[in-house]
Amino acid sequence: MKSKLLVHGASILFVSLTLLIALAWIGSRSGVTEASVRSTLAAASFADLSNPFQKALFSDAMNIFYPGQFDKNKAEVSHLADAQEKALRDKLENSSEKEGLTLGAWTRILGMYIKFIIVYVLVMLLTYYGVQTLGAWRFCRKKSHDEQGAGSFPTMVLKSLKKAALFIATFILFCPAYVIAYSLRTELNTDTVFFMIVLCVISNGLLMVYSNKFFAFLTAESRKGYVETALAKNLKSSYSQRTPDGISYRALIAPIKRFNGHVFDAIFRNARGQYLSTIKEQASFLISGMIITEMALNLHGYLSYELFRQMLYGNAAIVIVMILGIYYLVKATEIFTDFLVYREERKYEN
Amino acid sequence: MLSLRNKDVRWAFIWLVTTAIIAVWDILFLNKPALKLVVAGFFNTFIIAFLVIFVTLLMGWMATLGLHYLQEGKHKTGYLLLNFFFNLIRSVPQVIGILLGYVAVGMCIQQGLVHSGFAIFALLSFCMGLFIFLEMADCMWERIDHYQKLDFYNAMRVCGVSQSRIINFNILWKNSRIHIFNKLISVMGIAVFLQCSVDFIISVGLSTQANQVTLPTTLGNLLANLDSKQDILAVGNTLTHPLYFPHLFFEHLQGLTVAFLIVFSLLCIHNIANGYAERHRL
Repeated sequence: MKSKLLVHGASILFVSLTLLIALAWIGSRSGVTEASVRSTLAAASFADLSNPFQKALFSDAMNIFYPGQFDKNKAEVSHLADAQEKALRDKLENSSEKEGLTLGAWTRILGMYIKFIIVYVLVMLLTYYGVQTLGAWRFCRKKSHDEQGAGSFPTMVLKSLKKAALFIATFILFCPAYVIAYSLRTELNTDTVFFMIVLCVISNGLLMVYSNKFFAFLTAESRKGYVETALAKNLKSSYSQRTPDGISYRALIAPIKRFNGHVFDAIFRNARGQYLSTIKEQASFLISGMIITEMALNLHGYLSYELFRQMLYGNAAIVIVMILGIYYLVKATEIFTDFLVYREERKYEN
Repeated sequence: MLSLRNKDVRWAFIWLVTTAIIAVWDILFLNKPALKLVVAGFFNTFIIAFLVIFVTLLMGWMATLGLHYLQEGKHKTGYLLLNFFFNLIRSVPQVIGILLGYVAVGMCIQQGLVHSGFAIFALLSFCMGLFIFLEMADCMWERIDHYQKLDFYNAMRVCGVSQSRIINFNILWKNSRIHIFNKLISVMGIAVFLQCSVDFIISVGLSTQANQVTLPTTLGNLLANLDSKQDILAVGNTLTHPLYFPHLFFEHLQGLTVAFLIVFSLLCIHNIANGYAERHRL
């Protein structure tokens, strides 16, 4: 664990230093740029070249100082007039967009960051629960189908209907957030945090991909030798939801899942141990999903939306601070995951 | 033998047949300019996805070999540095990384540094591959690690077989190509999803360097078109006005086709990868 913490620490230090140097460089560069713009404007600031009289006067002065090059002087004057007009226009256009790292900006970013973390933690907890529930349900369903066999005609019809419903549900779970968001926009108020959390959990295939991984872990575990030993010790082994020695729906949907006296209990605990190590990549995927969802819902004043807006306006300093914040969040998740895996490993090693 | 009983083959067949049916329907009922756009978007998306597969395979293989030889050659510093660099890439959310890459490509196009269509495709694929290749590297690295612990690795070394032949031919080609191929199918799904998502974000108008004009038409930016957005909004309208449902298949074809192609392709690729893993008991 110490070596892992060392690697994480070095990584955080390296990224922080690199981005802070970039931040300082941007700060010094913007100072230089502003100074150079001011000096350029100062060169012709005595004349307002948008005024026809002053423009003509300036042309006459140029012709007196640089005689014999009338066309060149005329071009110079119109070039200066254009530059003055463009500088004014840019100043007006960017007045509300260009922003530095002021105290107000820091406060705003901090507020958005806290909101981002709260949504992230909630979505992470919901997907952690959803992945295990879906994976376990799918595994038990497959096992109980193996036990049941083909069945009669009405049962087969019912099964087909269930399959169709399952296909539709899977199709929805694979929809990217923007497809669901636009489909429901006319009927629902989609610009809410609640809808965002729901969308982050059910869309972008997050739940499907990781529940499938969990299912694969369960399947791999169920093939191991200790399962045979547990069966020989007479542990319960039916996966039917209807029999008392089977696995009830209640146990499957419980937040803390325990299957006491059932062979599935050991399978589930071992699969969960393996799933813990995949949370790192799930975190990165989840943040990608959150960014996509915020964009799909057009949630103004949220971290991801603001990040791309600042990118558009070229406020590099703010963009760097936001990216650094997201990086710290990913790193915090990685450290937490490593700690959970370490604790789980120690449980069995001692 | 390939048979429709196999889940992967069945889903590949379902994907092909459904896409063909949609193509015929669109030829019959979608207007010509929109049809042209949808066809271009579909092919561009999958060409880029296939290029991403190629880039991922190449970069993943190079990264694995790099790590392996640095570790075997006792170059601890080099090994740690390379690992450190890979961990840095891992900590960047893929969408952010790819979007920044797209912005860079957009700037190159605007400044006239990149002209041809293929060069743009290759650059976009590289941007995506850079944030996906570690999945492939991890898969290859696990396989090498697994076989290194077995007797056959040492036995071959004692027999005088070169290390590069054991790694590349005996482990990666002869004993892991099924795993690698399965990973490549998943990579294709990730590539399609990320491409469509980044194109969508760009279409929201939050990047001036990379925009719909500079980048090629894909399913992602087609979906973000105003026409397609309206078509998708009509789906929501159908929830409260069910009688409007038949209109969707004639009057809102562009958006519906694009959205369906994205979601259905993702679903099929996922099932193909699962089926392939089940068939080979991976």
